[in-house]
Amino acid sequence: MKLAAISAQISSIVDWFIHPSLMNDRDRVNQARVFLISHLFGPFLGSAVPIALYLLDPTPGFEVAVLAASIFGFWVFPILLKKFGNYNLLAILSVENLIFCILWSCYFYGGIKSPTLPWVLTIPLLAFFYIGPSTVLRTIVIALFAINMMVFLAVAMLASPPVSDLPSTDMEWLGIVSTVAVALYVTMMALYYAKVYESQAELEAEMREHLATASELRRATTDAERAGAAKAEFLAKMSHELRTPLNAVINYSQMLLEDAQDEGDEESISDLNKIHSAGQHLLKLINEVLDLSKIDAGMMGLYNEDTSIADLIRRVSDEARESARANGNVINADISPEVGMAYLDQQKIQQILSQILDNAVKFTKNGMIGIHAKKIAGPEHEMLMIEIRDTGIGIADHEISTLFEQFTVLGDASSSKYGGTGLGLALSLKLCRLMGGDIKAQSRLGEGSAFTIVVPNNARDLETQGSGKTPEVAGAASVPEHTLGPVAVAA
Amino acid sequence: MGKILVVEDNEMNRDMLTRRLVRQGFTVVSAIDGPSGVAMASSEMPDLILMDVALGEMDGWEATQLIKANRTTARIPIIALTAHALASDRDKSISVGCVDFDTKPVDFGRLMGKLKQHMGIAA
Repeated sequence: MKLAAISAQISSIVDWFIHPSLMNDRDRVNQARVFLISHLFGPFLGSAVPIALYLLDPTPGFEVAVLAASIFGFWVFPILLKKFGNYNLLAILSVENLIFCILWSCYFYGGIKSPTLPWVLTIPLLAFFYIGPSTVLRTIVIALFAINMMVFLAVAMLASPPVSDLPSTDMEWLGIVSTVAVALYVTMMALYYAKVYESQAELEAEMREHLATASELRRATTDAERAGAAKAEFLAKMSHELRTPLNAVINYSQMLLEDAQDEGDEESISDLNKIHSAGQHLLKLINEVLDLSKIDAGMMGLYNEDTSIADLIRRVSDEARESARANGNVINADISPEVGMAYLDQQKIQQILSQILDNAVKFTKNGMIGIHAKKIAGPEHEMLMIEIRDTGIGIADHEISTLFEQFTVLGDASSSKYGGTGLGLALSLKLCRLMGGDIKAQSRLGEGSAFTIVVPNNARDLETQGSGKTPEVAGAASVPEHTLGPVAVAA
Repeated sequence: MGKILVVEDNEMNRDMLTRRLVRQGFTVVSAIDGPSGVAMASSEMPDLILMDVALGEMDGWEATQLIKANRTTARIPIIALTAHALASDRDKSISVGCVDFDTKPVDFGRLMGKLKQHMGIAA
C-alpha cells in the first residue's frame, strides 16, 4: 500500500516534467517517463563514482570536478524537457553526455582497464529505452558511441593517459563501488521499464477489448438497421396490397350508396353506410401504418412550400366543423394577423392539425375548441406555434405520458366508445419531428386538453443548418408538462 | 364538365374510376396500356389525363413524355397515379411533365379536388 503511494507520487513528479506537446503520443510519453526516471534518479547513483574518487584519490584534481559536473548536469535535462519539449534532441545530447562521463573517468582512471568501464553497458541500454524504435535515432546513437570510442582510443594512444596516483587497493574499491552503482542503476531502469511495459500491455489489451466491443456493436446496429429496412419495405408493400381491394370496397359501396340514396332505400343506405365507414376506418389505419413505416425507413420526404397559416387553419377547421357540430362543439380559430405565411410541408402540417383537431372534437361534448396560432422565437430560429385547446374530458396524468406511443387509445373503454386507431398521435409526433418540430400535451381530467404544435416557421432554416435533427422544444417532448400551473383549458 | 382520359391497366380500378367520374358528370374515355393511351390522347383530345404509372411494357412516365412531345397533345394536363407515395415517384412524375401526382388507390374526394383545380372548374 505504502509502496503504491510512493510509486504514484513518483509518477506524478515524473509526469510534471513532460512537455504538453508530447502528451498526445502514448509511446512518446512512456519513453519520456523512462528518460525522466533515469535523469532524476541516475545522478544519485552515478555520483557514487566521483564521490569515491574524491575520497580515495590523494590528489583529486579538475578531472573529478568535471566528472561530477557532467553527472549532475543530467539534472538539467528534465528542466529543459519541461520547458522546450524537444525530446529527440535532448535524448541524443543526454546519450552524448553519458558517453562523455564514462570515457572521461576511464581515461583518467586506468584507461582500458578502468574499473568504471562497466558503465559503458548502460549506454546502449538507456539509449534504446529513451529513443524507442526509430531506426534513424538508433543509428545516430550507435554512430555517436562509435565516434566517441574512436576518439577515446586515439587520444589514449597518442597522448597516453596520466598515470593515476590511486593506490591499486583503492582502485579495487573504486571498481566495487562503480560496479555496485552501475548494477543498481541498470536494475532500477529495468524495473521501471518493465512497469511501463506492463501497464502499456494492460492498456493495449483493454483497448483491443473496446475495439472488439465497438465492432460488435457496429455489426449489431447494421443488422438491426437492415432488419428495420426490410420490415419497413414489407409493411409498405403490404399496405399497398391491402389498400387496393379495400378501395374497391369503399368505392363500390359509395356508388351503391349513391344509388340507394337516389331510390330512397333507407335500409340499404344504413347498411351501405356501415360498410363504407368501416372501410374508411380501415383505410385510415393502413395509411397510418404505411406512413409510420415510411418514416421509420427514412423514406418520408418533405415538400415545403409557401403556406398561408390562416388558410391552412381555415381548411382544417372547415373539415372538422361538421363532426364538431354533431357533438355540439364550437370551433373558434384565433389567428393573429401578423402570423402570415410559413414555408413548410403543407400537407403534413395539415395532417397533424387534422389529427389533433379530430381528437379534440371527438373527446369534447357541447364545448369549445380553440385554435390559436402565432410565431415564437425558437432557440435557433423562428418557430410557428399552433395550439389546439378543448374543454373535453381531459387526459389522466398516467395516460398522458404514453399518449404519443403507438396503439395508445385512452382507456380500453374509450377505444370502443370514441373509435380511433391509436396510431394518429404517434404519427403526428413523428411527422412533426421530421419537420424539425415537436408536440406537447397538457391536460386536466374533466377540464380539457391543450396540444401545442411547434414547427420551424421557415424550413429553409433547417436546410442551411444542414441537419435534419429535431430540436427539443423547451421542456419535454412527448413527456408533456401536464403538471404546469393552472391550465386555462377550463375557460 | 369536361372529358377525362383514364389510362389504367387494372380492370377494377379502371371501371371504378370511370364510373365514379361519369357520376360526377365527366365524359370518360379509357385506355388499358401506354401505347393506346398515347394514341387516344391525340384522337380524343381530352381535357385531362389520369395516368397510372405502373403500366407494364411502356410505363406511365414514358407515355407522358410521348404525349408531352407531341405538339397537339402537349398542353393536356396529366395527373400521375402511383402505387407508393414515395418522394422519388413524385419527383419523377413532375420531371416528366405531369402537372400533379396522387397515390393509388385513389382517395376520390382528394382526386376530385385536383381535377377541378387543373381543369379550372369551380369547386
